[in-house]
Amino acid sequence: MILDFNVNGRDYSIEADARARLIDVLREDLGLTGTKEGCGEGECGACTVIIDGLAVNSCLVMAHQTRGKRILTVESLKQDGELDSLQKSFINNGAVQCGYCTPGMLMSCKALLMRNPNPTEHEIREAIEGNLCRCTGYVKIINAVKEVVKESKAPSEEDHHE
Amino acid sequence: MTNKLKYVGKSVPMHDVMDKVTGEIKYVGDMKLPNMLYAKLLLSDIAHGVIKSIDISKAQALKGVVKIYTYENTPSTSYNSHIWYDGLKAIEDEYLFSKQVRFYGDRIAAVAAEDKETAERAISLIKVEYEKLPHIISPLEAKENPEYRITSKEIKSGEPENIIQTAEIVVETALKTQKVHHAAMETHICLANKELDGTVTIWTPCQVAFQVQLVVCTALGLPKDKVRAIKAAMGGSFGGKGQPVLEPVCAYMAYDLGKPVKLYMDRTECIIATRTRTATIGNVSTAVDAEGNILARDIKMLVDAGAYMTNGEAVALAMGKKAFRLYKIQNQRYTAEVVYTNTPIGGACRGYGSPQIHALTEINIDAAARRLGMDPVKLRLKNLFQPYDKDSIGGPALGNARVIQCVEKGMEVFNWKEKRERPKAIGRYVRGVGMACATHGNGYYGAYQDYITMSLMMNEKGEIILNSGIHDLGCGTVTTMKQIVSEVFDIPLDKVTAVEGDTFKSPFDSAGTQASRVTFVCGACALKAAEQTRAKLVHYASRILGCAEEQVVLENGMIYASDQPDKKQAYGDMVTSIQKTLSEKVEVSCTYESPANPASYAVNFVEAEVDTMTGMVRILEVLAVHDIGKAINPGFVEGQIQGAIQMGIGFALSEEISVDSGGIVKETNLGKYHIVNAPDMPDVKVMLIEEGEEHGPYGAKSVGEVSTVAIAPAIINAISNAVDIDITALPATPERVLEAIKRKNIISEVRQ
Ligand code: FES
Ligand code: FES
Repeated sequence: MILDFNVNGRDYSIEADARARLIDVLREDLGLTGTKEGCGEGECGACTVIIDGLAVNSCLVMAHQTRGKRILTVESLKQDGELDSLQKSFINNGAVQCGYCTPGMLMSCKALLMRNPNPTEHEIREAIEGNLCRCTGYVKIINAVKEVVKESKAPSEEDHHE
Repeated sequence: MTNKLKYVGKSVPMHDVMDKVTGEIKYVGDMKLPNMLYAKLLLSDIAHGVIKSIDISKAQALKGVVKIYTYENTPSTSYNSHIWYDGLKAIEDEYLFSKQVRFYGDRIAAVAAEDKETAERAISLIKVEYEKLPHIISPLEAKENPEYRITSKEIKSGEPENIIQTAEIVVETALKTQKVHHAAMETHICLANKELDGTVTIWTPCQVAFQVQLVVCTALGLPKDKVRAIKAAMGGSFGGKGQPVLEPVCAYMAYDLGKPVKLYMDRTECIIATRTRTATIGNVSTAVDAEGNILARDIKMLVDAGAYMTNGEAVALAMGKKAFRLYKIQNQRYTAEVVYTNTPIGGACRGYGSPQIHALTEINIDAAARRLGMDPVKLRLKNLFQPYDKDSIGGPALGNARVIQCVEKGMEVFNWKEKRERPKAIGRYVRGVGMACATHGNGYYGAYQDYITMSLMMNEKGEIILNSGIHDLGCGTVTTMKQIVSEVFDIPLDKVTAVEGDTFKSPFDSAGTQASRVTFVCGACALKAAEQTRAKLVHYASRILGCAEEQVVLENGMIYASDQPDKKQAYGDMVTSIQKTLSEKVEVSCTYESPANPASYAVNFVEAEVDTMTGMVRILEVLAVHDIGKAINPGFVEGQIQGAIQMGIGFALSEEISVDSGGIVKETNLGKYHIVNAPDMPDVKVMLIEEGEEHGPYGAKSVGEVSTVAIAPAIINAISNAVDIDITALPATPERVLEAIKRKNIISEVRQ
């Protein structure tokens, strides 16, 4: 079956197995191996991608369900050689250890900030509740997101004062 | 350290973090070789039995199936995946494939196929007929059966039995600890290929490349020069990828087929059929006097190795020794019995027995304090080791043991007294505070061989390459080594490359990333290699510069004679001159044998809230205080501790691999196996006591394992403090907590 969709800003029209999961098409057919599989059952979040603005477990989605949709994977975050502010903050805050949860974690956080640029700590924790990490205890991940929020807020607050 | 440190003690980012945040890093799951086959295992669905027949005809007929492996067409050499060096003796009871099925999840067959779907389909088409045998899942039952009893161990100092018999106050505690899944986010996976010269190359996220090589050689009957193990990017291990599980099978298929084979596991397989934290049933009796001095202690552990021996004996011994390295107890006995059961296999798991024994003994210490009506902190402070006290069974020197300092500082910062004395809420939610202490080692000195060889070279560009068999498990080992080398040479980290384990290229390392030895032992070797190389550079430079060695200055990548500060040259230019003029290389290969194994300490303070209606426990606050000697990279250290606390909360409250009466694993996925997620994770404050340890590089000692040891008993003690109940089995699930609350209410009603 032909699958037309947009991944990371690029339109694709590919032949994909009717039973293929989105994660397999991304990893195997498009070679976007940044998206990880940790359970295949929607329980770990390692496979999180953004579909039309929402964070979704790509292991639970059939590729054909994404026809005509816009998908973002971790590979989309770095633009023109420049890291996304979340990526930078993950680095600066030591939010990455083994790195296996990182792509999914980043995409959940990205989706959060896309719909709510000013989340509370509680909202940050909720946004990654489906993303398991065994290395970091989440502490530095949450700090990293908080820092991005704080930094993006700083100029807008200045705007406000003007 | 009197000198000001420039690179050590700084929280620089991990060497490969850029590849990790961009998703570019290649784990084995992301690797592909031309003509690579995919392989899948068939695991037994019974707990105990013998295979009567295996029908592979349907699977074999499937298009794309290349070969099916069972015990019938593979080597039947026994091995023990725990053996990490030649000469280490342990019962060898594992095989590539079983005829005898010993647990639900035993390896029955493997299929190599052209693609994943075919491999998975073929597995489902294999028909196995078993003759079932009676199974034993309870270690208590196993203890009574000679076929399941493996060995017993005793460690003793003084005469504890007599004292306990006659003492006025003896406090007894019983605790069962469960099997735990390591839950690395990357499931087990391995890739192997047969090279043209007949060598089998194995890419694996492993902890000990030389162990992979050794175990594969044993299982396959190959010489070491035909097996090359390469440590691949690691998606989390925590001991779970310590013993080679998939490597021998994968290597055999690649060797047999002459093609690359990738063998992978899904989460369910990973939970049931890799390794688990060794389960225990513990009992402890502690005699104390009215002032809170510990007079004697008797600890009994029943250690459930699971279906195969692996490290059952080693872990039983390791945990026992820890009991002698926290409190000054002159009269103490530790006895362990190790048994098989028809349940998932035990293995190395962060802490290697320490979490199990400390859970028992630290809950017991609190029980003793309660009996005496004493603050548990006070009781501990009376009995904890002082710096340079002696291990009471003659074990390795404790070194600069700063556990008392950890307790005292932690108490203050946590506001222990006030929180502890605060009146308890009446109503549904009750808060309590608890604490616990823990100790762990720094390598193998005193138990097993512990040395590593490293080679270090400075090139004509002034860059340094450190070649050694290290393994970065995501903890920052590579960066830690680089920081040490950078410090010695005063050059930025990006000028230093530290490569990881490859048994054909790395100098030998005796033990890999185990036993909390990496920073303490490997780091000390990196320091020695760097210092020796520096001395060499200084020596040759003095000849080139025509000055005394003492006059040679190395500063920020530049080298010069102290009386000619205007004639600075880059290290690389000096190396070039040395090579050209003296025909010498600035290179050293050195072996470092660890001369010590001091104790690291952790003290955790916890505030918890118990919902007395549901039995649910919420952790509100954790303070982790660590006697670390010196943090080479404080950010990494904090990261280790915070992750370890996450693991320890799961051990205390929610994580368990259990089997039903038929021996079938109940928690087969992450929906049923509950690891702590972000909303349930408390804030973890970390405090480091950095008082330096003699033999550690820049004074450093271990943190990776000790950090997960104190948290579970601290939580259980906080629960007891809140609602005054005894928890006798981990994890303290809502059901167990509720049950204990009910039990207490019944008892108090009866008493009224
Ligand atoms: S792999 Fe999709 S949620 Fe775990
Ligand atoms: S960094 Fe390893 S699982 Fe999150």
